[in-house]
Amino acid sequence: MVNKGTQTTSMRAHTLDTLGLGTPLAAFRAGRLPADAASLVDTIFGPANDRGSLVISGANGIVGAGKTMQFASRLQPFGVTVVGLDMANAPDGIGRKYPGLVASFGVEQAAKIMGSVVQMKYDGRTLPSALAGFKPRFLLEAIPEILALKRAHYALFRAAFPGIPIRSVTSGFPARELGVGVAHPAFPHEINKIFEIVEETPSASTQLLWALGLIPMEVSDDWSFILDVIFCGVTLAALRYHASSNMPYWKIDKFVRKYFGPNPLRAHDAIGAKGADFLTWSCLHHLAKEYGAVFEPTADLTERKDTGQNWYPPNHLRPLVDWALTPEADDELRTAIAGPVIQMTSLMLHERRSHLAQMNAIGELCAQFRRGVVAMIRSMGADRAIATVEAWHARHPEAATSAWYPDALDAVNEPEGQQLYVNAEHDGTVGVITLSRESYTSDVDEELNRAIGWLKAAGIDRVILSGDFHLSTQMVGADTTEFFPALDDASAGQALAERWSATARRLHTEFATSVGVITGKRCLGGMLELMAHCHVVVCTEGTQLGFPEVTLPVVPGMEACHWPFRKATKEGWTRLLGLLLSGHAVRADQAVGWLVDASGSIDEVLSTAWALAAGTSNIKRRSFEEGALKGLPGTAPDLPAVEGPALDAARKAIVDSVHASCGAPLAEAIHVQARHSGAFMTSSACRKGRVGSEFAKTMVV
Amino acid sequence: MKHDTVLYPRARIPYGTWGASYFPAWQTSALAEVNIGQFAAESMNRILGLRRVPTEALEYLVLGSTIPWHWKFWNAPLLAATFGRRIPGFHLEQACATGLQAVLAAAAQVDGHGGDVVGVLTFDRTSDSPVGVFPERRSYERTIPINDVWENFGFDPATGKAMIATAGAAARKHKLDRQEIDEIVFCRYEQYFAAKHSGFLDKVCVPLDLLNLQGKPLGRIDQDTGVRQITLESLRQMRELDTCVTGGGQTHASDGMATLLVTTAERAAELSPRPEIEIRLVARAEVRANPSLMPEAPSLAVMKLFERTGVSMKDIAVAKCHNPFAVNDAIFSKLLDHDWHDVNRTGCSLVWGHPQGPTLTRSLIEGLEEAVELGGGKVLLFGCAAGDVGVAAIFDVTDRGSR
Repeated sequence: MVNKGTQTTSMRAHTLDTLGLGTPLAAFRAGRLPADAASLVDTIFGPANDRGSLVISGANGIVGAGKTMQFASRLQPFGVTVVGLDMANAPDGIGRKYPGLVASFGVEQAAKIMGSVVQMKYDGRTLPSALAGFKPRFLLEAIPEILALKRAHYALFRAAFPGIPIRSVTSGFPARELGVGVAHPAFPHEINKIFEIVEETPSASTQLLWALGLIPMEVSDDWSFILDVIFCGVTLAALRYHASSNMPYWKIDKFVRKYFGPNPLRAHDAIGAKGADFLTWSCLHHLAKEYGAVFEPTADLTERKDTGQNWYPPNHLRPLVDWALTPEADDELRTAIAGPVIQMTSLMLHERRSHLAQMNAIGELCAQFRRGVVAMIRSMGADRAIATVEAWHARHPEAATSAWYPDALDAVNEPEGQQLYVNAEHDGTVGVITLSRESYTSDVDEELNRAIGWLKAAGIDRVILSGDFHLSTQMVGADTTEFFPALDDASAGQALAERWSATARRLHTEFATSVGVITGKRCLGGMLELMAHCHVVVCTEGTQLGFPEVTLPVVPGMEACHWPFRKATKEGWTRLLGLLLSGHAVRADQAVGWLVDASGSIDEVLSTAWALAAGTSNIKRRSFEEGALKGLPGTAPDLPAVEGPALDAARKAIVDSVHASCGAPLAEAIHVQARHSGAFMTSSACRKGRVGSEFAKTMVV
Repeated sequence: MKHDTVLYPRARIPYGTWGASYFPAWQTSALAEVNIGQFAAESMNRILGLRRVPTEALEYLVLGSTIPWHWKFWNAPLLAATFGRRIPGFHLEQACATGLQAVLAAAAQVDGHGGDVVGVLTFDRTSDSPVGVFPERRSYERTIPINDVWENFGFDPATGKAMIATAGAAARKHKLDRQEIDEIVFCRYEQYFAAKHSGFLDKVCVPLDLLNLQGKPLGRIDQDTGVRQITLESLRQMRELDTCVTGGGQTHASDGMATLLVTTAERAAELSPRPEIEIRLVARAEVRANPSLMPEAPSLAVMKLFERTGVSMKDIAVAKCHNPFAVNDAIFSKLLDHDWHDVNRTGCSLVWGHPQGPTLTRSLIEGLEEAVELGGGKVLLFGCAAGDVGVAAIFDVTDRGSR
């Protein structure tokens, strides 16, 4: 598609552009990010000498207290007061957040943040007279999900503060019902950065969220938006399966986690069953009224919205009887969960509720789907997805009569559906590949290959690889669930390492210039290995870089054991080995010359990357040795003491892999290091480590 | 027949919605490690799930168990809650007759419109018997600890005698022959293993996997553990503990559960995988034998039942009994003039053990399954209970599809 504002062409629309912030290529070309927090704070809260406040009503509730912490910590440096307003008898939800604040920011900063929060109580009908003194400039409403109550609340504020912008955190009511815009956040509220935004055009407040490091996503004004269709939908599917099979809630939850990722019933209990059950019921109740039986709440959910009973048994009644499934019953369960989720997704696709990359990301980042709902349907193929829904309809014919749009599933074949995690854009000379997922998966790998192919087909041989400045705010490495099949099959591990490494090598071999751009808090493991394959790597100075594989433990499989060594001096080899064997991270500005090529502020990084890609930079590439390396160190100095045999085994395996793969010429090294990586994954050290434990916890049901 | 009686005319037992755990002998399985009430409830949920009966259908729950279990005070409401249902219910017990009394109580509940679908859940754990400490002013200790299982077996406060003594006394009264008793025992084992090898038990018993506190496998209950093939020779060599009573000629304590539903005709047709089969309750009777003659009490109950209903053994398609002593069967054969080979054809509690609460429930389920295999007919269920009590009931199985 052609991006009008920047005169560039991209595989599909950038999600950043849906916020009115242009495309990543435009940011690189401009040498700066498209918006900055300081000026947006001025726009919304007034200039520093007349700064107003953010009011959060219902501030002691689960959502309100979390958002009070999140915004106070981000707005405190700008001198914005957060007024937490709640009913006089509301328990102190904000105070309970203080220990978490201290853990994240330290005592001193936590005190400063708390110092920017003012709590006010009222009776729900008359605003406190002192509130006006704080000059409210924005209201974030987080009061109970009762429409009449919310409307009266807005009227109260508008009467006192005419024209005040208001956003509701509602999880279900459309803006047209509320009469205000929506900023629906995802749990857990103090740390989850995602907001579903409903507004006619991207607003300054939405752009401020982005500038503050949060992840706003524009969604359409439809009941329950995206997150709660998915989350409430998978919850409903689990409850329906319970009703038909008697399988206990806890066991269904484990199967849902195994096959799809989330454990929705545990999540309800963790959030607080009373509130969460009501919210889920409320969303489903309204969705059922709007769209029909596919959303009809079950009897047990309807009961528990009032009783607030937990779904999991209490500790003293831990389950005694297990539920094994025959292959047929297992298939039935998967259909029972996937069927309604696919049908609900067809509705969201039909209504085009959001950019598909966002629809998919919401499922992964907020509803814990291992593979987002769009990616899940894509992997099945539309035909199999339709057959799954029809098989489910055979048991639930009432659900087939409405809100089922099989044709809408074809959207997965559109560019947006094909490139959920990776996009590419070019201006005829320079290409920019952006990653919208923080961890690397086989889906990302496939899409990255398509993006490289797309740029090559357009004749582009200068490329920048970076995050997308929106959905991925950091790069955490390989998604370790991809390693599960390798735990008892070394050839599977080796094949995965070879496949991913081959993709990474394309950045080195198929472009005249490739520039890896690392921004955000951290870039670790597989993502750092990927970036290292670029001819030049530039980073924001404070970004943490590291190879934590040894702590899992696994042996790096995307060539960290030899690729960076081929670009480093002998002194650099020791540091690289230290990084690999300790698992510790290093600040980017301390890794220049042996791991990365330049570091600086975000604006410097953007402009440097553009200059490098455009061929106008004077930064020289480090030489790259394709032959066998000799004289590698056997270990690294100052390593932390070994704690347990697993770390010792991992260190030995990594040293072996480094020596073997560095000792091989480049063409052979890809196989050598993949073999080492695959072999280690079947070791007892790996199986007893984090990957093995995670496998046992989620996959052995 | 003297009377064409129908007991609880509104009540039906829906075919194929039942099941039991296997009954492992006491102290031999993971059941010795668990709260048996919770286990029973979770197993009932599992069994109903396998039978495709949603527990949402349940409106009431009748529990039957005889040995105290942790949180028994909260009885049926607690156990219903373990599988997510908030329904009312209650608990009853009458020693070894509990399994039948619970079914009758459930039928009364349906008949009295106390609920259209009533679950019967019977269970007991004889392993690791709980101990009750009772104030007793007549003892110098002032408090008496009672091991609920074994001390009750060993002492009937009304007669001062042990259970086993009743078998010996009854054998002497009826002049039983040890040789015949051994033959009965041998026959019962043969019947059990024949039923097991034919796959008959698979219709009744459900393998269940137990979890420990960490959620890891604790053990699988998929056998009547402790039941071994036996030879007539070995039985003959056994030492007599009382007249005609040997280790082989009496049952053993075990752990387990059994469950079934009682409902209306309409709901039975909806819930059963074979709605053409109708199961009704016909009649019941209870008697109390003279002191310390418990093994003859079941026969007396059947005789009373026959006398009242006009039914005779020739009208009975399937006869099943709880026979803690082989002596019981010999007496029944004498008093009813009926070949003991034709009783308990698919197994009995003499062989598969006696967890008390669920014993007669499992016997009933086996009897109903056997009757269905035969194309229908009357099922006679009878047994003895502590206090020299005998109970008996007749159920009618009609397979309308085979007419």
